[in-house]
Amino acid sequence: MEDMKTIYLILVLAPLAGSVIAGLFRNQIGKAGAHWVTILGVGVSFLLSAYVFWQHVMNGAPVFNENLYTWMVVDGLEMHVGFLVDNLTAMMITVVTFVSLMVHIYTVGYMAHEDGYQRFFSYISLFTFSMLMLVMSNNFLQLFFGWEAVGLVSYLLIGFYYKRETAIFANMKAFLVNRVGDFGFILGIAAIAMYFNSLDYAQVFSAAPDKAGETISIWGDSQWSLMTVICILLFIGAMGKSAQMPLHVWLPDSMEGPTPISALIHAATMVTAGIFMVARTSPLFELSETALSFVLIIGATTAFFMGLIGIVQNDIKRVVAYSTLSQLGYMVAALGASAYAAGLFHLMTHAFFKALLFLAAGSVIIGMHHNQDIRNMGGLRKYMKITWITALLGSLALIGFPGFSGFFSKDAIIEAVGYSQITGATYAHWLLVAGVFVTALYSFRMYFLVFHGKGPRDEHAKDHLKESPAVVTVPLILLAIPSVFIGWFAIEPMLFGDFFKGVLHVASAHDTLGEVGKTYHDQIGFISHGMMMLPFWLAMAGLAVAWYVYLMKPSIADGIRSRFDWLYRLLDRKYGFDEFNQAVFAGGSLFIGRLLWNVGDKTVIDGIAVNGSARSVGVLAQAVRWVQSGYLYHYAIAMILGLLGLLFWFVVR
Amino acid sequence: MDFNASTLLLLLPEIVLLSAIAVILVLDLFLDQSKRVFTYGMSLAALVATMAAVMLGDNTSQVVMHGAYVVDAMGSVLKVALLSVGIFAFIYSRRYLSDRNLFKGEFYVLGLLAILGMMIMVSAGSFLSLYLGLELLALSLYALVAFDGDSKPGSEAAMKYFVLGALASGMLLYGISMIYGATGVLDFAGVAKVIASGQADQTVLTFGLVFVLIGIAFKFGAVPFHMWVPDVYQGAPVVVTAFLGSVPKIAAFAMAMRILAESMGGLGPEMGWQGWQGMLIILAVLSLALGNIVALVQDNIKRMLAYSTISHVGFIFLGLLAGGDKGYSAAMFYTIIYALTAVGGFGLLAILSRKGVEAENLHDLKGLNKRSPWLAAMMLLIVFSMAGVPPTVGFFAKLFILDALVNADLLWLALVAVFFSVIGAFYYLRIIKVIYFDKPESEEPIAANVDARLAISVNGLAMLYYGIFPASLLAVCQAAIAAL
Amino acid sequence: MSFEKFLFYLFAAILVGSALMVITRRNPVHSALFLVLAFFNMAAIWLLAEAEFLAIVLVLVYVGAVMVLFLFVIMMLDIDLATVRAGFIKHLPVGIVVAVLMLVEMVLVLGPKHFGLTKYAAPEAAPADYNNTAELGLSLFTQHLYALEIAAVILLVAMIAAISLTLRKRPDSKRQNVTRQHMVKKKDRLKIIKMPAEEKG
Repeated sequence: MEDMKTIYLILVLAPLAGSVIAGLFRNQIGKAGAHWVTILGVGVSFLLSAYVFWQHVMNGAPVFNENLYTWMVVDGLEMHVGFLVDNLTAMMITVVTFVSLMVHIYTVGYMAHEDGYQRFFSYISLFTFSMLMLVMSNNFLQLFFGWEAVGLVSYLLIGFYYKRETAIFANMKAFLVNRVGDFGFILGIAAIAMYFNSLDYAQVFSAAPDKAGETISIWGDSQWSLMTVICILLFIGAMGKSAQMPLHVWLPDSMEGPTPISALIHAATMVTAGIFMVARTSPLFELSETALSFVLIIGATTAFFMGLIGIVQNDIKRVVAYSTLSQLGYMVAALGASAYAAGLFHLMTHAFFKALLFLAAGSVIIGMHHNQDIRNMGGLRKYMKITWITALLGSLALIGFPGFSGFFSKDAIIEAVGYSQITGATYAHWLLVAGVFVTALYSFRMYFLVFHGKGPRDEHAKDHLKESPAVVTVPLILLAIPSVFIGWFAIEPMLFGDFFKGVLHVASAHDTLGEVGKTYHDQIGFISHGMMMLPFWLAMAGLAVAWYVYLMKPSIADGIRSRFDWLYRLLDRKYGFDEFNQAVFAGGSLFIGRLLWNVGDKTVIDGIAVNGSARSVGVLAQAVRWVQSGYLYHYAIAMILGLLGLLFWFVVR
Repeated sequence: MDFNASTLLLLLPEIVLLSAIAVILVLDLFLDQSKRVFTYGMSLAALVATMAAVMLGDNTSQVVMHGAYVVDAMGSVLKVALLSVGIFAFIYSRRYLSDRNLFKGEFYVLGLLAILGMMIMVSAGSFLSLYLGLELLALSLYALVAFDGDSKPGSEAAMKYFVLGALASGMLLYGISMIYGATGVLDFAGVAKVIASGQADQTVLTFGLVFVLIGIAFKFGAVPFHMWVPDVYQGAPVVVTAFLGSVPKIAAFAMAMRILAESMGGLGPEMGWQGWQGMLIILAVLSLALGNIVALVQDNIKRMLAYSTISHVGFIFLGLLAGGDKGYSAAMFYTIIYALTAVGGFGLLAILSRKGVEAENLHDLKGLNKRSPWLAAMMLLIVFSMAGVPPTVGFFAKLFILDALVNADLLWLALVAVFFSVIGAFYYLRIIKVIYFDKPESEEPIAANVDARLAISVNGLAMLYYGIFPASLLAVCQAAIAAL
Repeated sequence: MSFEKFLFYLFAAILVGSALMVITRRNPVHSALFLVLAFFNMAAIWLLAEAEFLAIVLVLVYVGAVMVLFLFVIMMLDIDLATVRAGFIKHLPVGIVVAVLMLVEMVLVLGPKHFGLTKYAAPEAAPADYNNTAELGLSLFTQHLYALEIAAVILLVAMIAAISLTLRKRPDSKRQNVTRQHMVKKKDRLKIIKMPAEEKG
């Protein structure tokens, strides 16, 4: 047990050490030093994670749940730093450190000629540390710490090109939108602290069933179920971090950050923190069907409608970003259907293939000299062989081509939602099924436009198009392997086996995965069963449509666009979320701000408070200066007067 | 008779320190100016040895020497605190003094004697020993303030400090005599017993209490007994200010605890506005207001920090008046942290001063970040801690006080405190702005000794360490207060 | 009125009167001499309170040593009285108001209501063979040993402080260093120059 504790500590602290060294001694260690030290830190972390995974999953090591340090005790509420390591944690840390390691290596090539090289490495290692703290936490407080820390690094990295106006805007947007989510999250944690008087997972979860019937009144006499309130508040936090509608607006803009970050933070790891958190707190969510319905509907809506936007995007990174939104929607829908295991399974497969797609996109961007518009690309398969193949594998995994990892996880989700009985399940099921077609369409639209057909449009670009260096392609290859195969190996233990036994809690009435499991025999059976279902054919249809419309007859695309101009414009404007926010929230707050500025600031605050207080400070300071004359007898008389005053007040009165 | 030889073991810290002082005083006579650093080393060794004696000693609560000497956990913790802060103050002083031909043994001997006086105050069991410890401290401080005989402001400040100090200790003594008159005893436990029995004349007690409280308020520098603070802080050599502005706060806290909580507890928070809670409320609010507002318009940083001290004293008083284990431990935490912060702040000024140049105005800090990023970062931590910005420890110090206030149903006071802290944040930010955003006036690199650099680093990082792990110190304070 | 009481009021009246003189006299030497008178009366009152040892110590130490020193200093310094007086007159009204208020507050508390004989009975007179000095010594070296030791350290501080404040090496003072004068060697002082003998011109 003690050995394991040391391992966990080293595992968490190694990236932090790397980050500190790369950040504080950036001038001393230079560029090479910075990437070696951080890669070493994350590498150690990955190896230990793999060992932990092996110990827990293969050797069945007992669940580790221990407080390492008591931060403080306030009115009986204990705040600890502690680790909870079970199969869920083991899976998460392995995924996080693996993707992080790949991204570290990839960055060496991608950022080679950028300023702030060391700073970048310091940030991504710091991110890795924060993410590990988040997933290994055994209490809500540390979860929140990790939550905020990953958020912070994310803002720092979105604004990495801080000289670019749009980057600063995007970073501001991410910050503000996440504040909305975090506000819900912290309220949820506060509610837990208030009603459970504990922040420890184990204590809260064991006490939760007793509180299932409790109600609270927030305002007026209306009674709210405590669990529903807590779960929805927590989920609002997840909506911010995992970019669910309507709090999704920051994620596409976050693509202003460097591509490795998009892969690591905004696709594979940080944005899945919300999924992880909901799965971790499944004992609470299971107690509130209302909250589950809410989760399910939000997830499915995001999955379908965000996918649609992906079809009309032309920036290669934005296509992948909308795809991420859509896939996160699938995961959230799985959570809503109580198929937590399926959600986590998809989280894992998605982490690999989406990181792969992003890094492939990055590789394309390097080849195209930072031109990101897919309409300018085409035919790249001739120039970038490895990128082409890996991107194809990633895309197939994404659309759920039978046998690829995405197939298993996505099919499981759709089937599980189909079995769900809660409010909104039918709506969600159909949206998710339709989403498969959309996914295939936008994925292969991008794939065909980038790698096939004529092009690139710019003749000049052909001269310098070449495959990216090995530090870029090796991570692509390494990521392609799990993208293809992990589903095959993991589906049985994760969805239908004991992998998450004792970790996830599913009420028997919600056991949708159990229903799916009844027809499950083996992988081949699952594939052949899947191939008879609607989603598979929709995926194929999407692929075919993409091939036909964008590769064979591009004129059709233009025709459709002019015919369905209103739809195109709706999608192009992303349903007007940004405009709405800009007009209502930003504009509204600007308006209120101006109003307050004119009335409150100028007259009340400036006139009375600021200038007034500046004046009164001046007057007071002048008076004090007069008293503080430097003359001894003034000082003595002040003391005597003080004495007199106190005597009058307390003795004579 | 409760005296036997083993009693002396309990007094070992004081005995060790006094013996060391005697040895240093004599040895220093035979040292050349070039070997003066030996005195410095011995003084540090004396402090460390005393600290070891405190730490290794027994600290189960007991009273010896006919009630004159108290051994308890609070005493031990406060002694360790004041010895450690004293070590910092000594280390910061070395180069500053030798640059000005002031590097003499007397500085360290007087400093050690002041610390001895404070230790006597900390473990005083009766008004008599407390008063004597106070005088020992005060006399040494007067001499230290005037240590630079060629400095007119120094001599003037010492004169003011001496006269006002004499006035204050006269009042204190008068108050003690009143309390003696009302209760007939001088030891704290005895006084508490008489008060609890209800036999003492309430009016006379309150009368005495007012005078005694003024003695405490003067030592802390609370408004309106603060007049000496700005002049003395500014007039004294900055290394003396570093000492005088930090360590004695711990002794003053002990004095307040021993008198107010231990012996006059019967006139405490339960009495509300009738007892010392009311008096402290008045002094605390005045201190918070005046300290923060006047600091805003100061350009001399020593004076600014002096007014900032006054506002911090207001905070300490808030903790004391909230009462209960929570209030007292919060005040204790605040005091220790403040002493550590203040010694760092003034110590940094000492480091920045060069031969013939005093760093004492705000513009002397201009562009410190360009000249020495590390020192600038340490100053940042120290100033943030004073302002109460998380994650530095100052934030938690204030938080615990506010928490105690709310717990004691004094929400309005908590709001007042927050309001003035916000005002206070402004002048702290001014320091930060000057350090980080202004252009340096001189490009001259900062010549600091290794020992001073090391000390300021430990000092600055402590702000961060205790900010991240406040429980480590708070638990110690809570245990000490609980054992009272 | 008993004789004792009469004596007390007599001495007390002279004490207060001479104390007033101390702060109102123009000539500081006169003030100092009135202070001596005040000390004498105080000592007399202490004698009445059976504190013989303290009374004698007051006369010996304060009158015999401190005040004499004080007089020397006053005479040597020759303070310019006009400036001191100016401040005094200017601030007199404020001073009087504060002093009166102070007096009122103190009388209210210190009057017979709180300190009368009903509250504190007069102590029994000590027997004739009672040795005040011995009792004091006994108490000082047993019960108040700790305080006595601290007091000793305070005196040490006073000494160190006084020396460190006043003792200063003046670079311009021309002091003899006897040791160095004795240690001097011939070659330090004497320089022998070889030169050819001059011829008579």
